[in-house]
Amino acid sequence: MDQIFYLIYVLAFVIGSIIGLVLSYKKYTEPFIRKNIDTAALVIAIIGWVLALNFALIPVIPYYISITVGVFLIAMVIGMRPGYGRYETVIGFAVAGIIWILRMVLS
Amino acid sequence: MNLMADILLNVTVAFFVGSILLGLQRKVMARIQMRPGPPIIQHMLHTLKFFIKETVFPRTAAMPFYVAITIILCAIWVAAVIIGPVTHGPLLLLFAIFAIHKIVEHNAGSSSGSPYGKLSCVRAVFSAAAELPLFAVLIIVFIQTGTMDLNGIIAYQAEHGALLFTLPLTAMIFIVLIISKSYYYSPLNITLARDIVSGFETEHFGTLRGFIMISEAIAWYMLLWIFLTVFLGALTPIEYLIAMVILTAIVGLINAVTPILNPNHSVMTEVTLAFIGIVGSLLMIFFL
Repeated sequence: MDQIFYLIYVLAFVIGSIIGLVLSYKKYTEPFIRKNIDTAALVIAIIGWVLALNFALIPVIPYYISITVGVFLIAMVIGMRPGYGRYETVIGFAVAGIIWILRMVLS
Repeated sequence: MNLMADILLNVTVAFFVGSILLGLQRKVMARIQMRPGPPIIQHMLHTLKFFIKETVFPRTAAMPFYVAITIILCAIWVAAVIIGPVTHGPLLLLFAIFAIHKIVEHNAGSSSGSPYGKLSCVRAVFSAAAELPLFAVLIIVFIQTGTMDLNGIIAYQAEHGALLFTLPLTAMIFIVLIISKSYYYSPLNITLARDIVSGFETEHFGTLRGFIMISEAIAWYMLLWIFLTVFLGALTPIEYLIAMVILTAIVGLINAVTPILNPNHSVMTEVTLAFIGIVGSLLMIFFL
C-alpha cells in the first residue's frame, strides 16, 4: 500500500509542476530579474509544506490526502518558470520546519 | 498485490522518479554555474515530447535492428526493476543486465550508421572494460555477506549494520560507477560525451528517442536503488527518495565542477579506482 501512496505523491508532484510551469509562464512574461516575492506563491508554498510535513496536525483528514495535496502545492511553486518560486519555497519549508520542530518539542 | 500490478507500479515509479532526479541533476549543475536552469521536470517533458514528434529513419540505419535496439534497452531496465524492487532477486542478474546494457549501447551506436554513433559504439566496448570491474566490486559484498540474494543482503544488514560502514571502499567504487553512468556532462561517461554529440543516441529520433529516454530514467533510478539497498539495507520509500535526491545532487555537483575526461583517462581512472576498491576491500575483510 505504501508503494501506491508513493506513486500518488510522485504523480501529484509531476502534475503540480506542470500546472505551476504553465500558470507562471502566463503570469510572468519576462525572465526572473526583479527578484520580488510572489505573495500568492508564498501562501501556496507555506500551505503545501505545512500540509506535507505537519499532516498530523489535522487528524480529521487522512495523512495520505494531506501529503498528496501538500506535495501538489509544493510542486506548483517549485515547478514555476526558472528562477521564480525559489524564495517562496525556502520560506514555506522554513515555516513548516519550525512548526514541525515546535510540534516535536511540545508533544 | 498481484505480480503484474506490482511490476506496473514499480516501473511507473522508477520512470517518474528517475526523470525528476535527472531533471534535478541539471538544476543543481545550472545553479552551480549561476544559471536558473531548466524546470526539474524538464527530462520528463522531453521524454513525453519525443513520443509526439515525427520518427524518421536514417538511410544508413541497419533495419530492423535500429528499431529493436531501443525496445531492448527499455526491456532490460524494466527487467532490472522486476529483479530489484519487485522480487528482490539475485544481484548477479542485475550485473548481467548491466553487462547487456553495455552491449546495447554498443549496438545502438553501430545500428544508425552515424559516425558519432560508431565512435560511441567503439567507446562502449572500451568503457565496458572499465565499468564492468566497477560493478564487479559487488562480489566483495558476496564475500562479506555470503549471499548474492538481495533479501539475504538486506537481512545481513539488519543484523550487522549497514555495509556502507563495513565496506566503505566498495561503496565508494559503486559511487564512481554511478558518476560514470550519469547522463549530463559526466567526467567519466565517454559513450555520451559531448565531443561526439549525443553518442549512440545521436541518430535516434521521435518515438525511438522517447524509449531511450525512458530507459535512461529507469536506469538512473535503478543504479541508485541498487546502491542504497546493497549498502544501506531496507529503506522506506520516503527514505529511498530522500537518499536518491542527495546522491543525485552530489553527482550533479561533481559533474558541474569536473572537466570531461578523454576516453583513455576516463578508463584508466575507473580501472585504477576499481583496483584500489577491490584490493582495499579484501584487505579490510581479511585483516581488520
